[in-house]
Order: sequence, then structure tokens, then C-alpha cells
Amino acid sequence: MFSQASHNSRVTPVDPVAGSPELLVRISELIEDLSADHVDLLKAFHRIQHEFGYLPHEAVPLLAGKFRTTPAIIFGTIDFYSEVRTAPAAETTVEWCSGPACLLKGSLNIRRALEAILECEMNRTSSNGNFGLRLVQCDGTCHLAPLVRQDGRYIGPLTVSESIEWARRLKGEDGAVQTEGEGAPAEEESSQTAQKVESE
Amino acid sequence: MTLPTYKEMWQQADEVWTRTARPARTLIKVGVATCSRVVGAEETLETLRREVQARRLDADVMLTGCLGLCYAEPLVEVIRPNVPGILYQLMTADKVASLLETAVAADGNAREHALAVMGDKEFGGLPALGSLEFMRGQVRRLMANCGVTDPESIDHYLARGGYEGLVGALRLKPVEVIDEVKKSGLWGRGGAAFSTGLKWEFLYNAKRKPKYLICNADEGDPGSFVNRNLMESDPQLLVEGMIIGGYATEADKGCIYIRDEYPLPVERMELAVAQARERGLVGEGILGSDFSFELEVVRGAGSYVCGDETGLLSSLEDRRGMPKIKPPFPAQAGVFAMPSNINNVESYTNVPLIMRHGADWWAEMGSEKHKGTKMFSLSGQIQRVGILEVPLGTPTSDVVMRMGGGPPKGRKLKAVQPGGPLSGVIPASDVDIPLEPDPYRERGVLMGSGGLVILDDTNCIVDLCVYFEWFAEDESCGRCTTCFAGTRRMLEILRRISSGRGRLADLELIKLLGSIAQNANCFHGQGAPTAVMSMFRFFEGELLEHVERKRCPAKVCRGLVRYEVLHHSDRLPAAEAICPTNAVVRDNGTYRIDQLKCIKCDACREQAPYAIAVVDEFAPA
Repeated sequence: MFSQASHNSRVTPVDPVAGSPELLVRISELIEDLSADHVDLLKAFHRIQHEFGYLPHEAVPLLAGKFRTTPAIIFGTIDFYSEVRTAPAAETTVEWCSGPACLLKGSLNIRRALEAILECEMNRTSSNGNFGLRLVQCDGTCHLAPLVRQDGRYIGPLTVSESIEWARRLKGEDGAVQTEGEGAPAEEESSQTAQKVESE
Repeated sequence: MTLPTYKEMWQQADEVWTRTARPARTLIKVGVATCSRVVGAEETLETLRREVQARRLDADVMLTGCLGLCYAEPLVEVIRPNVPGILYQLMTADKVASLLETAVAADGNAREHALAVMGDKEFGGLPALGSLEFMRGQVRRLMANCGVTDPESIDHYLARGGYEGLVGALRLKPVEVIDEVKKSGLWGRGGAAFSTGLKWEFLYNAKRKPKYLICNADEGDPGSFVNRNLMESDPQLLVEGMIIGGYATEADKGCIYIRDEYPLPVERMELAVAQARERGLVGEGILGSDFSFELEVVRGAGSYVCGDETGLLSSLEDRRGMPKIKPPFPAQAGVFAMPSNINNVESYTNVPLIMRHGADWWAEMGSEKHKGTKMFSLSGQIQRVGILEVPLGTPTSDVVMRMGGGPPKGRKLKAVQPGGPLSGVIPASDVDIPLEPDPYRERGVLMGSGGLVILDDTNCIVDLCVYFEWFAEDESCGRCTTCFAGTRRMLEILRRISSGRGRLADLELIKLLGSIAQNANCFHGQGAPTAVMSMFRFFEGELLEHVERKRCPAKVCRGLVRYEVLHHSDRLPAAEAICPTNAVVRDNGTYRIDQLKCIKCDACREQAPYAIAVVDEFAPA
């Protein structure tokens, strides 16, 4: 079944393909009708990502076989594109628009606040795995700037306060007027996060 | 050639269109495109359909594209028989009931939300759409169908003159089509401004087969969204443009490469291509001629440099989308080493208009040197975010200050970034220059693809340059050291300046990096320092303020400001509550800000604007 799952070094025999049989079968089915000389690799990425929510690394040798190239080339290609994810997304992913319209209207402030509240750095998943923050490129919905998206839903234009209240609600904390000390993350952690805000 | 097929097709289409243009009963049009979808246009459409049925109203509900008035979305147009259509703004699903009661069921207008009357004449006390500040001065040629026809119906496109240009082109020899395009003076709208006709001639002259015709719809420039609007509001125009291009250059295959961030354009383009194929407009023997052309939509996966023409080629070859080294040029050896031609969406979409109305008609618009119209998108610190189409040579101030309404009330225009992060910025004092490549080039700025981003006096130019360099660094493909390492170095220096550790020697370093970057292979590397160079040229004072006095005049750069409680106010408890890091501390009834905890997110100042202020970190006491 996985006869195609080889890389074309032509000398070295194929490494056994790792991964659960069901997963491999499903991936093979998805890329069945694609071919190497037909601008299909991106299509393969999209199909697999649509199915699993990310691109499992088990798919790499299968893709290499299908597209008559080496796993290294496939991996390099995956690595190149920012919208191809290689790890499953967090339960709730907050997407933060990095575009200039949002920036000029104060999106960096929102980013700092979100990172502090969700206890999560940009393009990372929070330690409990509940939240993920993802940097996305501008898609021209600038009348909502500054905006964030949650699972494809657009929220904007946001003030920093609104984004904080929103994030607290998302986290299951009371977003309304708070009493002392409530709803703040561990202090050392958040100030560390703040230091890293712009280095990401 | 069996042209009657086209005639039959047109007659059938005309019947469909007449029902929309002159409806026998009330017709409600809902604009659904990316910009309106994000504010709930789909829900509006669904609610309208459901409610019209539930109330048994004598009305039809139709989908349409986007008029470009992003600031007023979702837009709903209600056309009653024999009365011009009335446009209602901000029509979210919750307002549908009141709209139906006042505008459809009763014989009145829902004044409250009415924006304008379609067309050029006012009606019933409502202004004409053409007389709105945003629309006045616009010439809608490419956008003629946007927000008027159903983007998912090829009949609407056909009835409004669609594919007439293709029929005209098929009557000519390919060389004659190229001559017509050359005569019009159309140049590539993607930013390089190279003659489209000439580019097509290169491909036509290439001997090897198959030849590829590629449409660059990877509109990666953040803040520009003109191609998106064309593809989702009038997808057939691009299909027709590609087919004419294919005929003129004798290409065999066409390919529309759309960026991953645009799911709706992908959907609509795929549908448009399928519909065109059904009608025999794509595929074997187009319109009964012996010309065959295949067209395919490819979805990218999130990479800015794939918008560079050779980067796009690499991406199509199933590899990392790294720009190639030129020569060989794409016309000699492009995708799969075969002759290829790459144009922007707007370049292709102009061609049907040229072939339909002739090059002379097309060249009527525009300035002395630059013909035709160009679409621009407005975003950033501007009152009316949207998409507009103006003749080339229109003063920038006309577009930004009048049509866009300028920056929000009480603020002053600071600068305009004309097209993408690699294009640079022009200062407010130069805002009167015409929108065409030459005056921009004189100022060391590139007009680019038409995404105007507006800065006002609350924005810091150094902060913006940090963003541009971050973007350039983040999206660098990694081939040339001058680019991937140069942008990183530049970013480090700029961040140093914005954090208050800048030194005068940095300025020389930046200039040096700027000139080294010219040795990069593709425009991504070469263009990366453009914004920084325009900062030197136009905003040197502000930059020096950062470096010498460690002060950010706009109070944006994080390392140069801090938050302080200056007065007492009743709002301070709210500020304390909102702070995400508990940095607003209460000591014996007075408040202060714990500078170690503060992440400078501005939320407390939003809550207590009188009490809390942003002050210079290194201000002289």
C-alpha cells in the first residue's frame, strides 16, 4: 500500500514509514489523485491540514513518495509556509493580526495584554494547552482594526480594555469590574513575557 | 468560428440580468465579501431570506459583491419596482426586521440606516451614491460590476458586456491583441510598472511549449486588499482577462495563484472558472475557435515572497517559494523551465476592458504619461476605510483627505505609505503629489500595488519602521545574506533605538545596511530598507529625537515611555481592575504604578485618562 512512500535517493532503501496504519491510510487516500508535475503539493498540504487540523509529520515520507522527491525537500517546503502547521492547534486559538492598520491603531498594546492574560507567548500554546496565540497576516479587513480572531470569528475594533475583558471572559474569569488581585497571571511570568513581546 | 453561440449565451444571460436590473417585484441585494462577511453579512443574508419567506413578502433576496465602502458594511440594497435602489448601511442581522417593516412591507424608506440612492440622481431626499464624498471623483471601470452583479453568476457578467472583449480578441490575430494592449499603455499594476503588452510579446516570441500564463493574486502587502475585492466581487473579469492573455501569447495553461489568507476569493474564482468551462469559455476550442486554454486556481500557503514573480514560480514547482535568480527571465524559462508570464490581477482585469471598448477609450482616463484607472485601498488612521478606483494622476490628497475623510477628528495627517511594507512613506507635506509612479519615485518611494496606509500624529515613524523591518526579516526567504542577515541587523538597530539605547553611530550603520541591501537578488531584499530610508529623508528630526534625546514625540516606543499616576480620579479603581499584571497598586489610598510589573499596554490610561498619563522615560526632571 505504501509502495510510493519512498524518497528518491535511488540507492538507499526506504525507511519503514512510521505512524499508525489508519493515519497513513487516510493520508494516502487524501493525496491519491495528486501528481508530481501538476502544482499539487500545496493542494496536498491543504487537504491534509483540513482533515487533521495540522500536517502530521507522518505525512512527510508519503508526500515525498508521491511527489518524487526527498523528505528533506518536503520538510523544507512545509517549513517555508507560515500557514502550514506541524502541530495540532490549541483548544482555543486566538489569532492576532499583525498588519499595519492594526499596528497604527494600537495592536501591540492588545498583544501585550493578551500575552499576559492568556499566559502564552505569540505563536505558542499556553502551558496548560488551553490557549494558543497565533500571529496572522493582514487580510484586508482593516475597517475592524485593531482586531483579533477567535476560531475564524472576527472581533474588532477593540480597545485594550475591551480586549482584556474579552480575554478574561474567554479564560473563564469575570470580565466585569474586578476586586483586588483577581484575574491576573503570575507576576514574574507576565513581566518576562513583556520583555519578549517585541523579540518574537 | 461559431460566434452565434456567444450571441445565444448573451441573450439567455440578458434575460436573467433584466430580472435583476429591472425587477418586477422588490429585490433585496446583500453584499457578501470578505470585508462584509466579518461584520456579519452572511447572517444578514440568511435572516433576510428566512424573514422574507416567513412574512410572505413579495420580494427576492440576492447575493452581490462589495461596493468598496468597507466602513459602511454590511450594505443592503433594496430595489422596488420602478424606483432606484436604496442603499442601507451597517445592516446587521438584528436590524433586518425593522428594515423589512419600513423599507419593504410599508411604502417608505428606512431613513435611519439609509446611506444613499444608487446612481447619480438624488431621490426622496437621499443623496445619490455618486455624490457621496467617498464616491465623488471615482471612475469605476474595473469595479463596474462590484456590488452590482451576483459574483456567483456568469450570466450577470455576460449580460453586462462580459466576454465581449474575448469575442473581439478572437477575431484578431494574437499579435494584433498584443498591439492593442501596447497601444493602450497598460503597465503592470503589481508595483514594477512594466508594460504589460511588452511582457506578453516576450512570451509570444518564446518558442518552446507548453507556455504558462500566471496570475499573481498573492496580494501579500499588508494593508492592501484591492485584488481581493476584484476576485470576490467580479471573478469573471479576471477569467476573461486571463483567456485573452492566453490567446494573445499563445499560452496553453493558465494559473491563478491566490494567497492562503483569502478563502472567499479562492472559492469564488474556482466557481467562476468552473462556470466559464461549462459555457465553453475555458478548455478546448474556446467559442468555437481552434484556441484552447486551461485555467486553474492554486491556493498558496502563507508566504509573502511568493508574491515576487519568481518566488511564485518556485512555489508552483512544489518547492520552497524562493525567488529565482534572473536571468533567465520567466518568458524564457519560468515555471518548470517553460516560458511563462506573470501579471497582477489588476493588469489582467484591465485587458477585457481594452478589448471591449478599444485602447483609445481606455487611455482617455489617467494622466499624460500614465493611462487608465487604478484601484486603491485605504486603511490605517482614516475615517472611511474602503476600496476605490480613480484615474491615475489623481492627487493623493484628494483620495486620502477628501474621499477617505482623512485621519480621525482632531488629529493631523503625518504620512502616507503608498503600497506595501517595501514601498516607503511620504510625509504629509507631500500629500498633494499625483498618484502615479513618477512623483513617488522622485521621493525614493515606490507606488506599489495600491494599499494606502495612513499615519496620523499619534503614530511614531520609528515604531512603523520597526514593524516594516520585522516584516521584511520575517518573510525573507533566506537566500541572500544581504537580505536575511541585513534585515535582521537593521531590525536589531531599530529596536535598540526604539528602546532608548540608540547611538549616533547607528545612523551610519543603517545607511550602510540600506545600500548593501541593494545587492540582494530579488526586490524583497532590495526594497526592505525603503521605509527606513524615507524615514531618514523626511523624518530625520523625529529619528534624532529618539537617538539623541531618548524621547519618542508620539509616545509610542515602549522603551522611551512609562505610565504614571499624575492626578487623583474616581476612575482609578477601574484602572486597577483592568490591569492585566496588577501593576496599578494602591498604597494607603493613593495609587501608583509598579514599573517592574507594568507591561505598558495602555489599558489603565484608557480607563482613567485624566489620572494616568504616558510620560517620557528619560525626561529631564
